[in-house]
Amino acid sequence: MLLRRIYQFLIIYALGTALLFLLKYALGLSDYVIPGPWDLLLSFKQFSRHYLSQVMNTLAVAVIGQIASILMAFFVGIVGRQATWFGSFIKVAAYNVQAYPIVAIAPIIFILIGDGILTRLLIAAMICYFPLLLSVLGAMSEPVADIEHFYRVTGRMRWQLEVKIRAFENLHKLTTVISGSATLAMAGTIVAEFIAADAGIGYSIRIALYQGDLAKILIALFLIGIILSVYQGALEAAGSAVKSGWSKGEEVYSE
Amino acid sequence: MNRIAKTVLSVLPVMVLLCGSPDVRGEEQLNYRLKWLYNASVVGDIYALDHGFFAKAGLTVNVKEGGPERDAIRELELGHAQFGVASADQVIRAIEKGSPVVVIAQLFQINPLMWIYRSGSLNIKSLKDLRGKIIGITYGGNDENIMLTLLSQANISDGDYTPFSVRYDLTPFYQKKTDLWPCYLNSQGVILKQKLAKEGESVAFFNPADYGVRFVANSVVTSRQMLKERPAVVESFIGALMAAWEASLLPANEPKAMETLLKYDKNTAADIQLLQLEATRVLIKPSPEIRVGAIDMDAWKQTEAIMLKQKQIRKAVSVEKALYPLQ
Repeated sequence: MLLRRIYQFLIIYALGTALLFLLKYALGLSDYVIPGPWDLLLSFKQFSRHYLSQVMNTLAVAVIGQIASILMAFFVGIVGRQATWFGSFIKVAAYNVQAYPIVAIAPIIFILIGDGILTRLLIAAMICYFPLLLSVLGAMSEPVADIEHFYRVTGRMRWQLEVKIRAFENLHKLTTVISGSATLAMAGTIVAEFIAADAGIGYSIRIALYQGDLAKILIALFLIGIILSVYQGALEAAGSAVKSGWSKGEEVYSE
Repeated sequence: MNRIAKTVLSVLPVMVLLCGSPDVRGEEQLNYRLKWLYNASVVGDIYALDHGFFAKAGLTVNVKEGGPERDAIRELELGHAQFGVASADQVIRAIEKGSPVVVIAQLFQINPLMWIYRSGSLNIKSLKDLRGKIIGITYGGNDENIMLTLLSQANISDGDYTPFSVRYDLTPFYQKKTDLWPCYLNSQGVILKQKLAKEGESVAFFNPADYGVRFVANSVVTSRQMLKERPAVVESFIGALMAAWEASLLPANEPKAMETLLKYDKNTAADIQLLQLEATRVLIKPSPEIRVGAIDMDAWKQTEAIMLKQKQIRKAVSVEKALYPLQ
């Protein structure tokens, strides 16, 4: 699964780069508009090590932001699964916050908590948290009528059991959302670094944009893509392990 | 159905030709990509459009707003624009990468990029006064090259000052987290000055040119091909544009210039725009004997030398070979 993700990414990247080169040579564009293979190689040699450390820095923040978002989303999703007013309130808040451009909110965040790692985390979580929350809230507020009915009429229903039933029923959906939220967390962290940090690959991309250096940006995109593929592959593998573990437990329980 | 299809098929190539042609009515549409949004920094450009300077020269020009993701030099190469405004560092980087860009006029005779500071608590009379200060620097931006050059001139090493990474947000300067903050004198500088004046604080501007660093700012560019194949169009364009800039900066024409500015920039208050216009006038035409658009060769060479020293370019590019003063 991990290997498949990596080679699929490499195919996409190679196709994208090939298309750029095709455009460059077909239209006779200079290296300023689209860098040539040699320019790309030279920049890779010069900046890849630094950029890799920056991507890892970004990934570290993204992982922390994602874990915090998952925990918060499950907490709020579980608490708010039955309260209709609270659930709709959370949804309204989520849709609103997602609609606001982060660049407009950033100055308020700077005033409140400065511009360090906390700002990066907060912005990453803001981008990653609400889509997660909406999915968790959706899964947790959807009763599994036939199973839940059995436990209710037998008087054995507790809130933990209700959460477990709904989580198991939506396991595939939840693991997919969690795995997908890795991309959101990474994108959120990069956006945060772009506007509010002095570290991370988002910050390096901003500098490269100031310098109009597309070669550096292509290298940054390559490293982001490859690291994200590995991370997502690992998450998917963990998700499969959890699913098969739960399924085994279910089989034992059925027997 | 068959007849309709035949009619469509016969008309389609003509339609495509008409749509693809830059000039349907016999007039050529030229695109002029600015560096930034419509504001006082581009008053001459929009004045040319608004007061018929291009039309009088027989040109139909589409003056297009710029922005952070816009790059006039790339648009020249891609054929999306025939003229544009680019900063000197963009031009030098583009030449290094083989771009056939040429400079036909230099808009700012004085670079508007300066550092604002609170004159009540700080007094900068020499470069040595920068020692121990917290200095705002936009990493990757022009101000990084300029400030590092100034610090190197004053033998101020890394540990002798505190750099502060600058973003688009001005909050750290308001919060006094930095002593000096880079800004454009004729845009943010005016707003910052006014805001701090309301708080009873006075400000001053640290101008690198006062210490011999003349890093060139915005210039009008076109492609080498355009200059070679259509010199008459280039001459007409630059003649009309520079005449418009001269006219827009004349104190007698201030009401007309303000009218144009207010028409194009609806997001800035009129009193601020007037101050921005006054500040722009000094930067474009510092004295009556300096012609608008004059290319300062020495300043360009110095800009290239700075970029080479700061390793912003890998090799010398002889930028003077890309400068074509047309007037």
